[in-house]
Amino acid sequence: MNRKWERDLGLQGRMLFTMFLLAVVYLSFLAFLSYYGTSQIFMILFIGLFMAVQYFYSDKMVLWTTGAQIVSESEAPQLHGMVTRLCAIADLPKPQVAIVRTQVPNAFATGRSQNKAVVAVTTGIMDKLSPAELEAVLAHELTHVKNRDMAVLTIASFLSTVAFYIVRYSLYFGNMGGDRRREGGGIMLVWLVSIVVWIVSFLLIRALSRYREFSADRGAAIITGQPANLASALMKISGIMDRVPRDDLRKVEGMNAFFIIPALSGSSIMDIFSTHPSVEKRIAKLEKMQQEMS
Amino acid sequence: MGFRNFMDAVLGRSRLPKAKSDRLFAISTASITLEGSLGLKPSGSAGICFKPLGATSYESAQKEIEELLEFSSKETETEFRMEKDEFNFLWAIFKDPNFEDLVANIHLVSQTLEDRGFGEQILCAIYRFDSEPEARVAKEKARGKAAGGVAVYWIYNFKQGTYYPFIPLSGRQRDSPFEFRLRAEMEKEMPVEKNVEKWYPLWGIPF
Repeated sequence: MNRKWERDLGLQGRMLFTMFLLAVVYLSFLAFLSYYGTSQIFMILFIGLFMAVQYFYSDKMVLWTTGAQIVSESEAPQLHGMVTRLCAIADLPKPQVAIVRTQVPNAFATGRSQNKAVVAVTTGIMDKLSPAELEAVLAHELTHVKNRDMAVLTIASFLSTVAFYIVRYSLYFGNMGGDRRREGGGIMLVWLVSIVVWIVSFLLIRALSRYREFSADRGAAIITGQPANLASALMKISGIMDRVPRDDLRKVEGMNAFFIIPALSGSSIMDIFSTHPSVEKRIAKLEKMQQEMS
Repeated sequence: MGFRNFMDAVLGRSRLPKAKSDRLFAISTASITLEGSLGLKPSGSAGICFKPLGATSYESAQKEIEELLEFSSKETETEFRMEKDEFNFLWAIFKDPNFEDLVANIHLVSQTLEDRGFGEQILCAIYRFDSEPEARVAKEKARGKAAGGVAVYWIYNFKQGTYYPFIPLSGRQRDSPFEFRLRAEMEKEMPVEKNVEKWYPLWGIPF
């Protein structure tokens, strides 16, 4: 049996390469910092505190800021049923299930480990999608849990955050102590390097996040066995389908003179900055999987 | 966007895009994939739609087309008819089990109009395919919809030089999920319009 669709070596390769680049950037950054001996004790304390907060409280913070409420099995039996079934297929401990009361169609997963995970959906997404599509979305979120994406991205973005704080505050701290004339140049250099580290790692993390997104799509397709379900869910959520016109071509033909300037397509640079790949790209990949499976 | 478009914008000139018929033929090879891997059979009908002008030279061009078609359709054994629709657009509609002959006849019309300087009057060419009921039933069941054989149209936009799918459902609805699926599967084989905002429907296609 051809199980080609289960793996995407290209994607995994790109992901590894991005992580490698990120590691190179971070290691050079650490080497640079220690070379200049920038108040190491302060750095370590700062880093430790930050890591602990992020690691232990990020899930609670996410739930709190989104207003998601954990629901029990009796409150949302169907949703729980779906999650239970998907977890059985994906071999995952069942996460907590939460609902956000908003019409915005969305879903997310959070939690530092597979055992502490929470999967949340909005009431809007439950209204908008068919059960099969909702299942595909839940499978996508569960794949994030299975792949430990929260932990991976927290760790990956951690030093980037440190660099950001150095950029932001080092000029204050640096100027407080003693010999300004000699230290001044050094601090400027630390500051510049931090900026570079911050920007480069920012872009790399964005890339990594996009790859994880593709992986989660892929996982969802494998768990549900129906890539097309996630594809149509994505199209519904993003409103792409609403962009298809309903006016007759013969009716709008008279206005065609105004259509000469082509609409700008928003690829290229914006792609680099976004955490999620464009929906069209994700759908295209899912469609390709569907083809390979059938 | 080139310099000319820029100058047009600056000077407020509006220019109708010229017809691009070079990529019209892409449907010939694409039809093999459409039938082979997507279960979309050419229905044997196709048409080209254009906007009639009042000018006498245009009327003579129209006459010429009709005469040419009488002649060529006899050769390829293609049935053809001309029809005017509610929007006052003219249609040349062909019926032929041989897909290549359909494409050839459509090209003959567009070429004649272009040669006589009426390329801008061409609206679109449309090829009809029928989705096989069985394949369709399985798919519809998976989506939880009512099953049934459906007409799938591929519309060639001469202004853009691209094709796009159009699957009308009852009540002026269209099957967008299926249209998007077709785009995904056919993108590599034919020039499919990328901007979905240009996927204008034609309600009540007369074939």
